[in-house]
Amino acid sequence: MDRASTSPSTASAAGGISRRQVLLGGLALVGGTVLGPALTSCSPSPSATGTPVRYWHPLSGGDGITMADLVESINDEHGFAAEQTVLTWGTPYYTKLAMASAGGRAPDVAVMHASRIPGYAPGGLLDPWDTDLLAELGVTEADFPAAVWEKGIVDGKLYSLALDSHPFILMYNTDVAEQAGALGDDGLLQDITSPEEFLDVARRMQEVTGKHGVSYGYLGDGAQMWRLFYTLYLQMGAEMTLDGDTVSLDEQAAVTALEFMTQMLDGTVAASTGDYGTAVAEFLNGESGMFLTGVWELPTLAASGMAFDARTIPTLYGTDAVYGDSHAFVLPHQDDPDEEQRRETYRFVSEILKGSIVWAGAGHIPAYQPIVESPAYDDLLPQAHYADATANLNYDPEAWFSGSGSDFQGYFAENIQNVLLGQTDPAVGLRGFVDRLNSILAKPNPVTGT
Amino acid sequence: MSTEVARGEVALSKTAHAAERPGSAARRSRDNRAGLAFAAPFLALFLAFLVWPIAHGVYLSFTGQTLTGAGGSWVGLSNYTEAFADPVMWRSLANTALFTVMSTVPLVLVALAMALLVNLGIPGQWLWRLSFFMPFLLASTVVALFWTWMYNPQLGLVNWLLAPLGIDPVAWLQDERWAMTAVVVTTLWWTVGFNFLLYLAALQNIPEQQYEAAAIDGAGPWRQLFSITIPQLGPTTVLIVILQVIASLKVFDQIYMMTNGGPNGVTRPVVQYIFEAGFTGYRFGYSAAISYVFFALIIVVSLVQLRITARRSA
Repeated sequence: MDRASTSPSTASAAGGISRRQVLLGGLALVGGTVLGPALTSCSPSPSATGTPVRYWHPLSGGDGITMADLVESINDEHGFAAEQTVLTWGTPYYTKLAMASAGGRAPDVAVMHASRIPGYAPGGLLDPWDTDLLAELGVTEADFPAAVWEKGIVDGKLYSLALDSHPFILMYNTDVAEQAGALGDDGLLQDITSPEEFLDVARRMQEVTGKHGVSYGYLGDGAQMWRLFYTLYLQMGAEMTLDGDTVSLDEQAAVTALEFMTQMLDGTVAASTGDYGTAVAEFLNGESGMFLTGVWELPTLAASGMAFDARTIPTLYGTDAVYGDSHAFVLPHQDDPDEEQRRETYRFVSEILKGSIVWAGAGHIPAYQPIVESPAYDDLLPQAHYADATANLNYDPEAWFSGSGSDFQGYFAENIQNVLLGQTDPAVGLRGFVDRLNSILAKPNPVTGT
Repeated sequence: MSTEVARGEVALSKTAHAAERPGSAARRSRDNRAGLAFAAPFLALFLAFLVWPIAHGVYLSFTGQTLTGAGGSWVGLSNYTEAFADPVMWRSLANTALFTVMSTVPLVLVALAMALLVNLGIPGQWLWRLSFFMPFLLASTVVALFWTWMYNPQLGLVNWLLAPLGIDPVAWLQDERWAMTAVVVTTLWWTVGFNFLLYLAALQNIPEQQYEAAAIDGAGPWRQLFSITIPQLGPTTVLIVILQVIASLKVFDQIYMMTNGGPNGVTRPVVQYIFEAGFTGYRFGYSAAISYVFFALIIVVSLVQLRITARRSA
């Protein structure tokens, strides 16, 4: 490289034009670059009739591999040519899906979290399912747990059709549990019925591992913080709703739940500063006995060959309840849907539901009950050990801004992380969260415009 | 996008110079037509992707437009009054300002120091030049990913390096006290190479005779640095500061990926708030209004900068 090539065009610009011009140019440039991307909208490519079923989902990692296998086998067996588009889970996925639906030229079918439906269906971003056509294909209300089916209903119409439910669960290392004397006669984890008992079991496991008793990653991860908090909160029989002008919640119960979480994150029972990835690594390496996570972590653990089992989160406060959500099929809004294509889409979805024993392999509990009731599912371990979680499954409080991967969980993280790090008082953190939610509830709902 | 605009400016000013050449009126108008023809492709893109969105954004900011199409009616100034009363907007503006100050100063000083060191004539100059500049070539996603790992409180390289010094593990990106600093350090490592290159080029353009003359007059290396090198680098410093302030005010990528604005909103820049208001909060009208509040503040900053530099060069 000689000297000339090391001085790019900007250097010659400085010599060729005056500083004032550079500044004015810079001014125009700032305006353009800052505002341009924020205000221009993008639209998806137009649809053409007779194309393969276009299927969007946010499933990656172990989930993504299982879903790809399922789509491929259904394509082969039933003569579909479904094309899956996998987008990054969380905000990137949901903004793209909303934009595609707002433009009216969306994919034929997509997977959403059932908890996100209130932010999509009332605004016309989704088209309702035709239950008659579903019944014709052998998919009826009777095939789903009541709570899971009803979650898809908005204003009397079915907007989402659940593929699964995926609760927050407790996994445990059976070797560690045995050495800690925490296994029952049936070889399963002993019954745990109070916070003290949970901490006691964890401390005994810590003595075995020498590092921690429980793995729980939460740093920078509002979803993880919310999942455990909401589970504990609901177990006290408390409720939370967002359908009024302000948040309705039981402050005492919420503070108790947060206090228990900080007690657990003492550096011995559980690492005081752990993120999600670290928690997985810790449990995998036998450095803890229990692991608070979602069912989706199952394939990773199974692949490692370690001895582990899983169960629903023990009821620590008297009321059986766990946080969970469902992956659900939705029909993103199309201005001018092709009847044939829609029918093909229904057929595709019904085949996925009927083949969802494969999906159970990824840890999720299939929503389509004929699968769960089949003998093949009973043989699937440890999945069958937590299938009872569906009965006590609780979705996020309903609001246009709540649900998995939503801003709601971000607000929770913003206010609660410091509580878990021991830097803020639980009541203060909770107040901040409630205030944030109240300020959103005070503004018009942008989904319906009311 | 920024370099295209900059090049466009250069092209326009060159055609302007061409038109000033002595010649007949017919010649001049032919030159003008040719000039316009050359500028047309740029102008078309400029109108479609800059002027139109800016104008449409002004309109949007006076409506209650949302993503779902609900509430598209005229609401007057209410988005602006809401924005001025919105503590989150002010906090995110303050975060952007803080990031700009915290990043611009080291990005100028460290770049200068690196350029001076490389320019000393140490062997293997190409290697230094390459290693200092290389991070700039990385995508923001790559930079964010591996710095996030390095900052990991349990497994990260940074805490591992600090442990022998007796420093307890720090949750760099999750601790309110450190998150912004951690993001600034990442940004410094990532982008300092560009400023370094500009400085190095400018250093190599300072005539050797000036140093010779100074040496004959008995000036030592430090005297030469402060009396020749730094004054001669003045125009480059102005350019770097302007480019750097612009780049820092736009900050979004690395923060979005490393902290997503957290913990407790201490790193959320205003651009992220604009994104959140519009695309996850669905409120395009309100989002546009915040954009223009931010735009107005940038104009103020630019005018102040213009004033200061104009006075200095006068």
